Amino acid sequence: MKDRAKIVHENFLRRIQDEDLPNTDFISPDAVGLTNAQFVEIFESQILSRRLDMESRNLQAIGEGFYTIGSSGHEGNAAVSAALRLDDMAFLHYRDAAFFIQRSKKLAGQTPLWDMLLSFTASSEDPISAGRHKVLGSKVLHIPPQTSTIASHLPKAVGAAHSIRLNTLIDKHNEIPDDALIFCSFGDASVNHSTAQGAFNAAGWASYKGSALPLLFLCEDNDIGISTPTPKNWVYNNFKNRPGLKYFYCNGLNALETYQVTQEAAVYARSQKSPVFLHKKCVRLYGHAGPDVQTAYMSKEQVEHAEAQDPLLHTASLMIQNNILTSAQILDIYSEIGVRVESAARHIIKRPKLTTSLGVQESIIPDVVKDIAPVALPTTKAREKSFGREIQTMEQPQHMARLINWALHDLMLSHDNIVMAGEDIGPKGGVYNVTSKLHDRFGGHRVINTLLDEQTILGLAIGMAHNGVLPIPEIQFLAYLHNAEDQLRGEAATLSFFSNKQYTNPMVIRVAGLAYQKGFGGHFHNDNSFAILRDIPGIIIACPSNGADAVEMMREAVRLAREEQRIVIFLEPIALYMARDLHSEKDGLWTFPYQEPKKAKPIACGDVHVHGKGTELCILTYGNGYYLSRQAAHILETEHKIKLRIIDLRWLAPLNETAILKALKPCKHILIVDECRRSGSISEALMSMVMENMSPMPKTERLTADDCFIPLGKAYAVTLPSKDSIIQSALELLGEE
Amino acid sequence: MPVSKKRALVIAPGRGTYNKAELGYLQKHHADKADFISMIDTYRTSKDQITISDLDGKPNYSLKEHTRGDNASPLIYACAYGDYLSIDKDKFDIVAITGNSMGWYIALGCGKALSETSTTDVINTMGTMMQDSLIGGQLIYPIVDDNWNIIDGKEAELENIVGDINAVKGCELHTSIMLGGFVVYGGNDVAIKELHKRLPTVQERFPLILPNHAAFHTSLQKPISNNALDIFSADIFAAPSVPLIDGRGHIWQPHATDRGDIQSYTFNHQVCQYYDFTRAIQVGMKEFAPDCIIVLGPGTTLGGAIAQSLIQIGWDDLHCKTDFIERQKGKNPILYAMGMDEQRTHVV
Repeated sequence: MKDRAKIVHENFLRRIQDEDLPNTDFISPDAVGLTNAQFVEIFESQILSRRLDMESRNLQAIGEGFYTIGSSGHEGNAAVSAALRLDDMAFLHYRDAAFFIQRSKKLAGQTPLWDMLLSFTASSEDPISAGRHKVLGSKVLHIPPQTSTIASHLPKAVGAAHSIRLNTLIDKHNEIPDDALIFCSFGDASVNHSTAQGAFNAAGWASYKGSALPLLFLCEDNDIGISTPTPKNWVYNNFKNRPGLKYFYCNGLNALETYQVTQEAAVYARSQKSPVFLHKKCVRLYGHAGPDVQTAYMSKEQVEHAEAQDPLLHTASLMIQNNILTSAQILDIYSEIGVRVESAARHIIKRPKLTTSLGVQESIIPDVVKDIAPVALPTTKAREKSFGREIQTMEQPQHMARLINWALHDLMLSHDNIVMAGEDIGPKGGVYNVTSKLHDRFGGHRVINTLLDEQTILGLAIGMAHNGVLPIPEIQFLAYLHNAEDQLRGEAATLSFFSNKQYTNPMVIRVAGLAYQKGFGGHFHNDNSFAILRDIPGIIIACPSNGADAVEMMREAVRLAREEQRIVIFLEPIALYMARDLHSEKDGLWTFPYQEPKKAKPIACGDVHVHGKGTELCILTYGNGYYLSRQAAHILETEHKIKLRIIDLRWLAPLNETAILKALKPCKHILIVDECRRSGSISEALMSMVMENMSPMPKTERLTADDCFIPLGKAYAVTLPSKDSIIQSALELLGEE
Repeated sequence: MPVSKKRALVIAPGRGTYNKAELGYLQKHHADKADFISMIDTYRTSKDQITISDLDGKPNYSLKEHTRGDNASPLIYACAYGDYLSIDKDKFDIVAITGNSMGWYIALGCGKALSETSTTDVINTMGTMMQDSLIGGQLIYPIVDDNWNIIDGKEAELENIVGDINAVKGCELHTSIMLGGFVVYGGNDVAIKELHKRLPTVQERFPLILPNHAAFHTSLQKPISNNALDIFSADIFAAPSVPLIDGRGHIWQPHATDRGDIQSYTFNHQVCQYYDFTRAIQVGMKEFAPDCIIVLGPGTTLGGAIAQSLIQIGWDDLHCKTDFIERQKGKNPILYAMGMDEQRTHVV
C-alpha cells in the first residue's frame, strides 16, 4: 500500500489547487471572537504539526527519528489551545502537537519546531526530557510531560484541578493561578481505561458533592484505538448525562467551531469550577504509528473516507470561504513551513544524544531545592492550643499509632501546605486512628476524606504536588496499593525523569501494611509484599519498627519531600500500631514518649539502627521482623549466651549498603529475617549485598515468609517468621559451624 | 526555488553602527537609490533637520553630530535599507528578518510592515525623541570569555550587582539588551555611573558607557513610549511580507500579524522592556534553519554578537570564536556582513 502520509500530502496539494474542498459549515472568525490574523496563526500551527509528522517519518526512514505516532487528523487541537490560557496547566495526549505548538505562540521566544524535532530524534538538547522520551511538555508553557499512553495522566489532572481552590484556602499561591483551569486530553479508546473511568468518576463525584474542580477533559474521538473501532456513539452515550460532568461536543474538523465550543466549555469550567467533558470528533490519518498498515484492519474505503476529512482541508475551506487566504497563499504557507521543517531537520540530526547510562539516569532524582526557607517549628502556645489536653500525655510512653498521629499533627502545624488524603482518614480518623482528630483540627480541606479509589488518591496527590501542595496521601492497606501502583510507577516516579528535573511531585505516601494482625483481615489486610515498589527508580521506602523511630522518620520523610522533592513511601507495620509490650505482658517496652519537634533526634534517610554489640550473630531485619528479633534475641542472649546484634534497616530503598556493611563487618554469622515472601522480598537484595561485598563471606541464612498469601484466623502467622523460628534459625546457623 | 539559492536570515543593525569608517556609505553603495534617499532628505528638511545626504557627505566624521540619535537613526536606516534592497534575490531567499534594538524599526521597513515613508517617520521621530530627552544611559559589559564562551555564573553575578545598585536610593538600573556575549544595561545616570564603578575592567575596554545612548528598552522610556503610541497609530502598519522576529523572539508571520498587536509591541514593549537580540537570533536559526545570515550595513559591530549567539546554541558545530573565524574563512561562511566590502560582494 502506498505511504498514506504521502497520499494525504498529495491530496492536500491537489485539492487546494483545485479548490476541491470539503463541505465545512461556514463560520467567520469574527463570529467566534477571533481576528483573521489569529485564525491564520491557528492554521499555521496545524500545518506545522502536520509537517512535523511528515518529517518524523523521514527521520525514522534514515535511522535518525524514533517516534512516529503523530497528530495528523487531530490538528483541530490548535483551536482548542487558542481558546485556553497559557497558565491553564495542560496534561496532553500524545497526539496533541498542534495544541503544544499553538500554546507556544502565547509566549514569545519559543521554538516549537526545533524542540519537537529534538524530541523526535531523542537529542539530549530536547528542552523537556533531554532525550529520554518523546513527550509533549514545557515548563514555561505549563505543560507537564507524560507519555499518556494508558490514560494514567487523568487522575493527576483531577488532583491538579482540586489543588486550585485548595491553595486559596491554605493561602498558598503557586504554579497554577487561582482562576486557571486544568486541561487534560486523551483519545476515544483511552476513555475505556479503568484509570480514565476512575478519574471521570472522581471528578464527577467531587463536583456532585460540591467541590470546586475547574477541569476540562478533552476526548479526541477519532473512532478507533490502534486497530479496534470505537462503537458508534459509545463516547456520546457514555458521557452525555454523567453526574457532575458537563458534556460539550464539537466537530474538531472545523477549527472555528472547535474554538467556539472550547471557549464555552472553558468558561463553564472556569466560572462554575466544575469539570467538563469536551467531546471533539476528529479523524486519524496515517494509521496509529509509522509501521501501522491500516488496511490490515480497515477497508481502503474507510481509510480514504478519513483522509477526505483532513482537518487541514477543512480549515483551508474556511480560509477561502472567509476570503482570508487564497489557494495560492495556502499552498505557499504549507510549502514554506515544510521547507523550514526539512531545513531544521538537517541540523537536528547532528545535535547531541544521550550516550551513557549515568547520563540517562541523571534526572531520576530531583534537585535539592536551593535556598529553601527553614521550617518554623510551631510555638508552644500554638501546640497547646492545637493539641489541647493531649499535650499533657506526651511524656508518657505511647504506641506507634498515637505517636505517628502526633508527629503528623506537629508537621501539619509547621507546614501549612501539607494536605492529607485517603479513605476514612477524616472524622473517623482512619481505620487505626492514625489520623485521629486531624480533620477536626485542620479542616476537611487539609484532611481529605476521599472516595474509595486508590488511583484517585494517588492521582490527587500527584496533581496537588504539581501545585505546591505537600501531599501525604494514605493507602488504607498495602494490598490496595496494587490496583493503583502505576500512578507511582508510571506517573509520579517518572515525572522528574521525563522532565529533566523541571517538574517534580514530592509527597509522602503512608501505607498501612505488612502482616501479623492477629487473626484479622486475611490477605487483603495483611499483605506482606512491597516488591512492586522496590524496583521503582528514585523512590524512597521507609519502614519504622517502633513509634519513636516512626516519629523521626516521618519528619525526615517530610523533609525529603519538601527539600529534596522526593517521593517517599512510608510503610507502617499495622501489627505494631498498637503494640505496647515486647517480652511480656504489660512490660510496655514497645511504647515510647513523644519527642516534640524542638527536641527531635533526627533519623536521616539511610540511618540504620544497630541494637547490641555482639559479633557472633547479626540479625538483619526491619519492621515486624525487628520486633520479633528483639524478642528472640532476649532468649538467644540469656538462654544460649549468644552475643549478637540486630540491625534495623529502617529505610528499605535505597538500601544504605555502606552503613549496613559497616555494621555487619565484624559479625561471624548473619541471619536475614524478612517478614515478606521469600520470592521478591528484600532478603534477596540483602543476600546479594552480603555475597558481593563481604569476603570472606560470613555464614548467612535467610528466614522469610513462605511464598503464600496470608490466611484468616488462627493460622494468620503460620507462613511468617516468628520469635521461635528466628531462635531456631539462629541456633541452626550457629550450630552448623 | 532554485537549488543554488541560499536561505538567509537578514539582520538589521542598531545604533552605533555608522562610525568613522562608514562615512560616505550611502554615496559609495547606494547612489542608485536616489529616490529613496531623496525622500528621507525631503522629510528631514521639512523638519529643519540636516539631510542624511549631507551627513553622509561630510568631509569629516563628527562624533558629536553623527552619533546623535536624531541623525544617526535615519542615517543607519538609509544605509541598512539600501543594503536590504541590494541583496541579490536570485542568490538568496530571505526567510526572516530581525534586527538589533533600533534595527527592529528597520526590520519593519524591510519586511514591509511599514512603508518606506512610515519607516522614515518612525525612525526619525523615535531618534529625535530619544535625543531630545536622552533619558539615562547605557553601559555594555561582556558575559563571555576571550573564546566567546559564556562565563559560568557571570550573568547571575551581574544580576546581583544590578540588584544591589537598585537598592541604592535614586538608582534605577535594568537590563537593556542581551547582545550575544554582552549585556547592555540601561539606567539613570547615577545608576550607570555606579555600575561602571563596581564592575571590574575586563578585556581592556569594558565596562563601556555608550556615548549618546539613552536607557533604551527600559521602563525609563515610558514617556517616549506614550508619545509614540499617540503619534503612530496601528493604521500605519501592515502585515509583513516576510516573517519578522522581534526583540522577544516572537515571530510575526505575514498572514498572522495583527496590526494593532505589532503597533503595541513596537511602541510599548519594545521601547520599555529589554531587547533580547540573542534570543531573536537563536529563534531565527532554530525556527527557520537558514543557510546563512546576512547582516545589513552600515558597520561591522554586530558580527561578534551574532556569532556569540550562535556559539551559545552550538549552531552548526560553532563552539568558540576560533570555530567561527575558521567557518568564515571557508567556502561556506555562516555570516555575510554587508558592511564589509569583501563579504558584501557575495551578497549583492
